[in-house]
Amino acid sequence: MKKKLLYLIDNIEGYLCQFLLVGFVVLLFVQIVMRNVFSYSIPWGDELATYAFVWFAYLGAAYGTKLSAHNRITFQFKMFPQWVATFCELLTDIIWIGFNIFFIYLSYDFVFNRMNLFWTSQTMGVPMKYFYFILPIAFIAMTIRVVQKNYLKFFKKKNAPVAEEKEFDSIDKTEREEPRLKENGGE
Amino acid sequence: MTTLVYVLFGVFFLLLVLGAPIAISLGVAALATYLTLGENPLAFVQMAFTSVGAFPLMALPAFILAGALMEVSGISKRLVDIAEAFAGPVSGGLAAATVFACMFFGAISGSGPATTAAVGMLMIPAMSNRGYDRGYASAVTASTGGLGVVIPPSIPMVIFGISGMGLQPPSEAIAEHGTFQTLSIPKLFIAGIIPGMVIAGFILVVNYFISRKRGYCGLSEHWSMADIRTTLRRGIWSMLAPIIILGGIYSGLFTPTESAVVAIFYTLVVGIFLHKELELKPALKTLETTTWITGRVLLILFTATVFGRLLVENQVPSYIAEIMLAVTDNLYLIWAMIIGFLLFVGMFMETLAAIMILTPVLLPIMYMLGMDPVHVGIVVVCSLAIGFQTPPLGENLFVASGIGGCSVEEISLKALPFAAASITAIFVIAYFPQLSLWLPRVLGY
Repeated sequence: MKKKLLYLIDNIEGYLCQFLLVGFVVLLFVQIVMRNVFSYSIPWGDELATYAFVWFAYLGAAYGTKLSAHNRITFQFKMFPQWVATFCELLTDIIWIGFNIFFIYLSYDFVFNRMNLFWTSQTMGVPMKYFYFILPIAFIAMTIRVVQKNYLKFFKKKNAPVAEEKEFDSIDKTEREEPRLKENGGE
Repeated sequence: MTTLVYVLFGVFFLLLVLGAPIAISLGVAALATYLTLGENPLAFVQMAFTSVGAFPLMALPAFILAGALMEVSGISKRLVDIAEAFAGPVSGGLAAATVFACMFFGAISGSGPATTAAVGMLMIPAMSNRGYDRGYASAVTASTGGLGVVIPPSIPMVIFGISGMGLQPPSEAIAEHGTFQTLSIPKLFIAGIIPGMVIAGFILVVNYFISRKRGYCGLSEHWSMADIRTTLRRGIWSMLAPIIILGGIYSGLFTPTESAVVAIFYTLVVGIFLHKELELKPALKTLETTTWITGRVLLILFTATVFGRLLVENQVPSYIAEIMLAVTDNLYLIWAMIIGFLLFVGMFMETLAAIMILTPVLLPIMYMLGMDPVHVGIVVVCSLAIGFQTPPLGENLFVASGIGGCSVEEISLKALPFAAASITAIFVIAYFPQLSLWLPRVLGY
């Protein structure tokens, strides 16, 4: 039970994203059918889909962090010994965390101190600050993932579960292959 | 302005060389510039939301998901079968079939590596069974996989459209060249059809001569009408997919985003009820793949938007345009320089990232020179697509090497004639704008 819960938490962004993805795809489809068959469209449909998509995108970025999917240019490390690549990766991860912390501060400040409840979305009338809330959340999640990845790498001697290693035989081999290749470029 | 350029590009390239994620390199460079200029970086937050929260952008995950689902529903496989049946006895026929399969598949997928994988997984083993050199077979597939992004629908074109639609032609450019045609994603899509065929044609010619020299004969003595009919009948639902996607966009029934959504549901219906091949587990995997690819790209989109806005606000593109015009005002030379630059960038950078970073710089320059934005978009997408097949970051090469088992070095060497053919084709496309602009005009776009 506890293990299952931990697994769930470890993949939380992934599950949320899949839920959001299915959500906005279905919503858009309903919109198309309604418009073309019943000549009616849900007034807030496109807006809700767009905001669900923003949430999906930023949570997906955090999920991508966990899978080391964010593209880096690494072929230059071929010319140097392995420790250079390891060192540079650690250094850039620290810079990444620094950027995230600054952005978390900015977005937190923006959402809580600059946005009032009267700034609402156009068709749903919901205060925009609730939608913007994803920015601090996603960047916090992303920061945690960067730390987690490095913790596993340096203390547990375990490389993060890179996208395609987890399911190598999957269908979309290509797209999955890419992050690993970029990572291994330095070896 | 000079400080701005030094800080922005200096920090960006430094971080790239250190191996930081591209998105973060762009973000940190933009942030450093904001702080140096003493501007309030709060605009970052709003741009983070508005850059990603655009309705047309939803086409990106929708097309990725549709493509991945088509793979697991057997739609891609049947398209390849059709191409194979049509190739028949032609010299180098199977390789030609690969080119056609990539064109068909390009019409349902918007991604280069996805096209290479879908076609390559079936065609590379088939070719090597027929006595083709494995390296050659992989090279053909890797080289034509790029067609996936030139033939509509195309994810890079969606990204170019979104990056470019926000950039109005500068007033100096309008004063000099009159009003410009508008840029739209459906227009870009339709403009890609003929250039895609031009590139395919060049590759086919090269393949024909190499195959004849090496004695790669056709599959059979004659075309078999029975075979063609069977594959067509089996593949009827696959053939309908591009018709639904493109027909829906051009009949005005749906937007490009919606057409991708319709494609997803069409694929589900075909996969579950008609082909009966779609299983739950692979279908769920496609959701996961879509998630991380989209997350990765859109994080770059956010930081690239901030980066691009800094450039445009400080008139960097018009400055570069001036320098270029000081060197030469010959349009052909300028195109040659730009294509060379794009090929170089495409070698090192992921296509979508490159488009997002370069469009805010390149498009205003091209406006100053009086170029049509749609034509520019086609040349940019075609040139960057070559990057799929060139080391060190050619995704198609890695995919083809993974499937065919040859080393990346061998494939890239054998792909050189095809790269040369494609580059020649790009020059033809750049120098004859009508190749891109004729079809949209005839269809009233």
